Amino acid sequence: MNNTGNIIEIKGLKKSYDNGKIKALNGMDLEVKKGEFISIMGPSGSGKSSLLNMIGALDRADEGTITVAGIDLMKTKKLYEFRSKEIGFVFQMHNLIPNLSVLENVQIPMFETKTSSKDMKKRALELLKAVNLEDKINQKPTKLSGGERQRVAIARALVNHPSIILADEPTGSLDSKTGEVILNLLKDLHSKENVTLVMVTHEPYVGKMAERIVTVLDGKCQNIISTL
Amino acid sequence: MSFLSLVVKNPFRNKTRSALAIVGISIGIIVIVALGMVTGGLENSTQSTLKAGAAEITVIQTGSNSFGSGGSLNESLAASLLSINGVKDTTGILRATNTSTTVTATTTNSSSSGFGAEGGVSITGIEANKLSLIGIDSVNGTAFTNTSTNQVIMGITIAQSLNKTVGDTINLYGKNFTITGTYETGNFITDAGIMMPLSTLQNLTSNQNKISDVLVKVTDNANVTTVSQSIENAYPNQLSTTTAADQANRINQGLSFINTASWAISLLAIFIGAVGVINTMIMSVYERTREIGVLKAVGWRDRRILGMILGESIVLTLLAFVIGTIVAVVGVELILTLSPSVGGIIKPSFAYDIFLRAFVVAFLVGVIGGLYPAYRASRLSPTEALRYE
Ligand SMILES: Nc1ncnc2c1ncn2[C@@H]1O[C@H](COP(=O)(O)OP(=O)(O)OP(=O)(O)O)[C@@H](O)[C@H]1O
Ligand SMILES: [Mg+2]
Repeated sequence: MNNTGNIIEIKGLKKSYDNGKIKALNGMDLEVKKGEFISIMGPSGSGKSSLLNMIGALDRADEGTITVAGIDLMKTKKLYEFRSKEIGFVFQMHNLIPNLSVLENVQIPMFETKTSSKDMKKRALELLKAVNLEDKINQKPTKLSGGERQRVAIARALVNHPSIILADEPTGSLDSKTGEVILNLLKDLHSKENVTLVMVTHEPYVGKMAERIVTVLDGKCQNIISTL
Repeated sequence: MSFLSLVVKNPFRNKTRSALAIVGISIGIIVIVALGMVTGGLENSTQSTLKAGAAEITVIQTGSNSFGSGGSLNESLAASLLSINGVKDTTGILRATNTSTTVTATTTNSSSSGFGAEGGVSITGIEANKLSLIGIDSVNGTAFTNTSTNQVIMGITIAQSLNKTVGDTINLYGKNFTITGTYETGNFITDAGIMMPLSTLQNLTSNQNKISDVLVKVTDNANVTTVSQSIENAYPNQLSTTTAADQANRINQGLSFINTASWAISLLAIFIGAVGVINTMIMSVYERTREIGVLKAVGWRDRRILGMILGESIVLTLLAFVIGTIVAVVGVELILTLSPSVGGIIKPSFAYDIFLRAFVVAFLVGVIGGLYPAYRASRLSPTEALRYE
């Protein structure tokens, strides 16, 4: 982290696909403060998921600068280590492994850390308690409701003590009531665990729960509205 | 949870597909283990064909089959051959085959009844004091007496498959014989046969004064080939000779052919198995594309994903090793006990290297079959994988 207190600093970031035909990011600028909760909105295909993928180091940008948690993502060779230590992903689809129990699913990210299997279990239990699923730890994900699955995914995202949670439409496949529970949980954990939360959403009422809304249009951040 | 337990659990996600892959590889393993046990058994039994005390040369009538039955030579020939230079000892023997079903009728072992008569039992008539010439150095029990008409000794493999021991009786040519002893020479053909006094067998088969072969032992410093040539020269167009070394060579050639054939069959089985594994693992990776994207997103290294898929492939083939080995061992034992005519000749080998070979093959098929799918999985781009529908 640098002296500006920003955990994410992006300048002029560009990323194109299909040999430059599709400009997913076209000179993106974004700064996010440590511990902040922002939501990213914008029409379909505007580059929201691409932006999140760059922050989470799932892909490398073509041009520009991007520094996350003090690491220059254009240069670092340790993308896996960065993802494992700094980032927790929550996707629209829960993406849990169907043949593993809830408890085992939450432990999956810890394989790359040097945690003993006893401590892995302890940490997973702690988080499953935090998302109110301590009575379902031995269930298979297929037996859970959509909201319960998403809560497991949130526990999985937090298990390695990340500094940033990247949530791509976490309520996109849930009904509004369940979605609200999930959102409140995310918001709650964000402040309790002091993690930065970057959330992509389509729905304005979801976006408004954030401290700040960033609108993305054609691969660029358009305007920044503070909801506070 | 450990990484290993994840690797072991994953192949069971699609049980049908994994079961099919396991069946495919198991067939290869069954072939390798079963052929290994049988050829290994044959090899063991031929190794001791060349025995110190036994005759080096077998003399038969020209034109007759070397293991032919019935008497075509006059028994006085044995004594005549003693005059040839380099011959130390001779004896005439009569080979016969008892095809009477009474062999199985008297069998108390129920599992073998009904099968034993198929090939008949090979019976050799020989004088008790010349048994060493046929390779029988010691008899467990006592040898028959030359004048007896109701005594036999029995090779160890046929005794085992007919479930007979010293003191039991056996019905041959409609007569009951007492088994006075059993023997083991290491030669699978001899050990699958029965010996009785020469005169008794001559009488039973109406071959009075006739023999089928003369066994010739050469003097210590004589050359076997020279002596056998001298015999043939002394009786042109009448006698032919085969040496023990010839026979061993012929058997070894046969064995090396069987060995080559079994390697070829095994290779084919391995190839088919490997194709099955590659297919299974590619399907599995393809179906789990999104999941692999998630694993990368949570920080798994390429190496770990490679290890997971490769491990799953090896789990499949090692399971196939266990199943295939069990089926092969049980199958070979079952066939040999249900069919004493085969079981009497082949004693399966349980040499550890047969199982080690099958294990190595299974492991390698797992590695080879899993490598490409694992590499593909590890090289998936996380964003592409996560976008995959
Ligand atoms: N891996 C890729 N290969 C090719 N094109 C891509 C890839 N990733 C994104 N794109 C394209 O880049 C553009 C931006 O995609 P992105 O997924 O970031 O949009 P989004 O804002 O998340 O849209 P949505 O709201 O529908 O999720 C789209 O036109 C998309 O088709
Ligand atoms: Mg998107």
